[in-house]
Amino acid sequence: MSGSLARSLREYRNHRAGVVGLAALLLFVALAVGAPLFVTARDLSAVYAPGAPRQPPSSHFLLGTDAYGRSMLAVTLWGARISLAVGLLATMMSVGIGSLTGIVAGHFRGWVSTLLMRVTDWFLVLPTLVLAAALASVMHRGIVTVIIAIGLTAWPGTARLVRAQTLTLEARPYVERAKALGAGDWHVMRRHVLPNLTPLILAQTTLSVSAAILMEATLAFLGLSDPTKVSWGTTLQLAQQVGAVSAGDWWILLPPGLAIVAVALAFTLCGRALEATLNPRLEGKG
Amino acid sequence: MEGTGHIAEGRPTSRLPALAIALLLAAFLLAPAPFGKPAAAAPKKVLTVATNGSVDSLSPFLAQRVLPTEVHRLVYDFLTNYDPKDDHAVPAMATSWSPSPDKLTWTYAIRSGMKWSDGVPVTARDIAWTYNLMMTNKDAATANGNFVANFKSVTAPDDSTLVVVLGKPQATMLALDIPVAPQHVWESHVSDIGTFSNDATFPIVGDGPFILSAYRKDQYIQLDANPGYWRGRPKFDQLIFKHYANQDAEVQALKKGEVDFAGDLTPAQFNSLKGAANITLNNGDGKRFYALAINPGATTTNGKPFGDGNPALKDPLVRQAIMEAIDKPALVNKTLGGFGVVGQGYIPPIFSTYTWSPPATETVGSDPAKASQLLDQAGYRKGPDGRRTTPDGKPFTLRLYGETQRAEDAQNATFVKEWLDAIGINVSASIVDQATVGDNETAGNYDLAFDSWLVNPDPDFVLSIQTCGARPATAGGSFPGDNFVCDSTYDQLYAAQISEYDAAARAGLIKRMEAQLFTDRYVNVLYYPNTLEAYRNDVIGSMQMQPQPNGIYDGQDGYWSWWSATPGAAASSSSHVGAWAVVAGVAVVAVVLAAVVLLVVRRRSTAQERE
Repeated sequence: MSGSLARSLREYRNHRAGVVGLAALLLFVALAVGAPLFVTARDLSAVYAPGAPRQPPSSHFLLGTDAYGRSMLAVTLWGARISLAVGLLATMMSVGIGSLTGIVAGHFRGWVSTLLMRVTDWFLVLPTLVLAAALASVMHRGIVTVIIAIGLTAWPGTARLVRAQTLTLEARPYVERAKALGAGDWHVMRRHVLPNLTPLILAQTTLSVSAAILMEATLAFLGLSDPTKVSWGTTLQLAQQVGAVSAGDWWILLPPGLAIVAVALAFTLCGRALEATLNPRLEGKG
Repeated sequence: MEGTGHIAEGRPTSRLPALAIALLLAAFLLAPAPFGKPAAAAPKKVLTVATNGSVDSLSPFLAQRVLPTEVHRLVYDFLTNYDPKDDHAVPAMATSWSPSPDKLTWTYAIRSGMKWSDGVPVTARDIAWTYNLMMTNKDAATANGNFVANFKSVTAPDDSTLVVVLGKPQATMLALDIPVAPQHVWESHVSDIGTFSNDATFPIVGDGPFILSAYRKDQYIQLDANPGYWRGRPKFDQLIFKHYANQDAEVQALKKGEVDFAGDLTPAQFNSLKGAANITLNNGDGKRFYALAINPGATTTNGKPFGDGNPALKDPLVRQAIMEAIDKPALVNKTLGGFGVVGQGYIPPIFSTYTWSPPATETVGSDPAKASQLLDQAGYRKGPDGRRTTPDGKPFTLRLYGETQRAEDAQNATFVKEWLDAIGINVSASIVDQATVGDNETAGNYDLAFDSWLVNPDPDFVLSIQTCGARPATAGGSFPGDNFVCDSTYDQLYAAQISEYDAAARAGLIKRMEAQLFTDRYVNVLYYPNTLEAYRNDVIGSMQMQPQPNGIYDGQDGYWSWWSATPGAAASSSSHVGAWAVVAGVAVVAVVLAAVVLLVVRRRSTAQERE
C-alpha cells in the first residue's frame, strides 16, 4: 500500500498545476490556522476598530479599512477561517451522504437502488443554490445552518458518480469470487468496493470543496449567514449593503473576492491533479 | 450564458449559426426597451425619479406601502395638507374648518370648482362617500381605517359642507391622511373593493396635481400633469417613478442621466456623488427614529403574560444598564457616517413642535462603568470568566434581533453585541428576514430588537403603538403595537392629548408622554438617520423642500416637491433615454458579434487540437 502511495505521490509531482495548487492550499490553511497569531480580537472589534471606516489603502492599512474601520488585511485573513471551515465541513457532509447513497444504490440494485436514485435525481434537478437558500432561511441563522444547507444539497453529483463506479467494481471477477465464497453485503461493500472507491471519493472531495466555499460566500452575500461573523461572504455582503460598490471602494471588494477565487482555484487544481494521478486514463490530459 | 457552456463542451459546428442567431435575439431582448410612449410632437418635460419601492395595490383603500401611498398623495386630493415650511395643517379640499364647543362635531367648508380628471365636479359628497365606505366596509378600511375608527357619522348637507360627528374628541382631525376617491367611479367597485387594485384602465380618474396615466409592475409608474389642478398645474409635463431593484443601479442611473432624482442613499453612496457633474445633494433631517426595543415581557390586553422574553428585563435597573452600555454617538459616526442625529426623545427633531430631549443630567448611554455598577446593584454578578449570572445563578444571555432588509441592523448588532459583551452580558445576535423578526415579536419570543418607525407630522400614530390597548387581544395574536409596553401614566397622557384641541397644550402633553416613555426605559431611541438624496440640477431647476430649511424632497407629507419642481436647462422629453437605448443596443450587438467571431475562431483551434 505504501508503495502505491509513494508511486501516486511521484506521479502527482509531475502535475505542475497540482503542485502549485497544493502549495497555495497549504499556505492558505497555514494562514487560516495561524491567523490568531497576527490578528487579535481587538483588530476584529467593531467598537475598537483601529481606523476610520472605508479608508483607502495606506502604509498603515495595506489593504485599507472596511465599513467598521477594521483593517481589510486582518478581516480577509480571519475570513479564511470560516470560509475554509465551512467549505471543508460541508464537503465532508455532502461527500459522506453522496458516497453512502451511491454505494448502497450500486450494491443492492432493485427497488432500493431505484428509490435512492429517484431521490438523488430529485435533488439533482432542483437548483442547488435555491434549495440551499430555502433551507438556510427556514433554519436558525448561523454558520452551522450554512454547513447543513450546503451539505444537504450538494451531494447528488457524488452519489451518481459513486454508484456508477460501484457498479463497475461489483462486476469484477474478484467481487464475484468473494460473493461465491459467502461474503455478505457488508463485507463486500467495506472490504472490496470502498477501498477501490477511495481515490475517486478523495478527488471528488477536493473538487467539491471549491464549490462549497463559493456557495458559502454566495449564501452569506445574500444575507443568509450570520452577518456578525467575519467571513469572505459576509465581508462582501457588508460592502454591498453600505454602498461600497457605488462609492468605488475597490479595496473592500477585491481582497475577499480574490481570496475566494484563489482558494477555489487551488482546490480545483489539486482535485484535477489527484483525479489524473488516480485515474490513468486521464493521463496526459491534465 | 448557457450557450457558451455548450460551445466549450464541443457541440457540432453546424449549430453555430443557430447559436449566433439566438445570441443576437437575446441581445435585442436584453437591450433596454425604449421607455414610455413614442416622442410626441411637442417635447414633453419629464421628471424621472428612481425608486426601489414596490406596489402592493394602486387602490387608495388598500395601498399601505410607501411608493403607492406617495403616488396617491399626487393623484388624489386630501381634506387638508401639511405646510411645506413647518408641517402645520393647511387648506386642501377643505378651505376652513371649526370644531363644535363640545369638541364632537367638526364642520369643514369644501372648496368649490374642483373637478375630477373626467370633468365631473368634486364635491363634499365624494368625501362623505369615501369616509362612510371606510366606516361600514371592513375591506375599504384596510389602509386608512384607523383614521375613521372614532367617527360616528359623516354627512354632506350640501356640495360645499362636510360634517363629521365623533364618538369622543379627536385632535387629529386636520391630519386625516385619506385619499378621497370619486364616488361616480368607485360606486361600481364596492362589491370587489377588497380585491380591486385600480390598475385596469388608464388614466385613472383623480383630482390631484398629477393623473396616473400608466403603470407596469416593478417597472414604472407614469403620471401626467393635471392641467386643471386648483393650486396650479405642475411645471413638468410628466413624472415617472422608475423601478430599480438595486440601490447601486439607481446611483449609476442618476450619474448617467437616466433618472433625475435618487433618494434614500447610503452614506457611502452620498459621499461618492460629491463633486459629480450636475448633481445637487441634499442632506435632510430624517422623519424616522431608530431604536433598540427591550421586551418588557409580552402580555395581552387583559394582562395575560406570554412568550419567552428574558424575565431579567422586567427589572428597570437591567434595562437602564443595557442603555448605559450603548454609545449612541459612535453609532451615528460609524453606521451613519455622521449623517444623523443622536437619539434622545421618541419624536425626531424634524418635527420641532413635538420633539423632546431629556435634561443633560439625565441622558443615558456611553457609560459602561455605570452600566456595570447598575448590574451589580441588580444582583447580576460577574463570574470569574467575566460573564454575568442571574440572581438565581443561571448564565445571563439575551437574544438580539435585526432585519436583513435594513442595512444598518447588521452593523449596529455587531456594535451592541460588543458593548454588552464588555459589561458581561452574553448576546446572541440574529439578523434575519423581516417576516421572521415579525413572527418572533408577535409571539413575544425576543429580548432585544431593532425598531424603526417613520413619524408623521401628527405623531398620534407612533404614540398610540406604545399604549396598553395596542397589545394583542390574545396571546400571539397580531397587534397594532410595537413592544408590549403598558404604562398607565402614559395611557392617561395619551387620552388627554387626543382630546386636547389647543395645539400648544397638546404639544406639552405629548412631550410629557415622551418623558414618561424615556423613564420607562423600554424603547432606547439610538438615532434619527438623515435622509440622503441627490438630483440632477440640469433637469430640475428648483423644488420645494419640506420642512424648511433642512427638510427632504422625496417622501414628503404632501406633494410639494414634485408639484413645484421647475424644469432646468436640460429638461426635455424622454428622448435622452431613447438615445441611450439605441447606444446600448448597438454596443450589445457589437459585443455579441465579437463574441461569436471569437468563439468560431476558438472552436476551430480546439477542433484542430482534438484531431
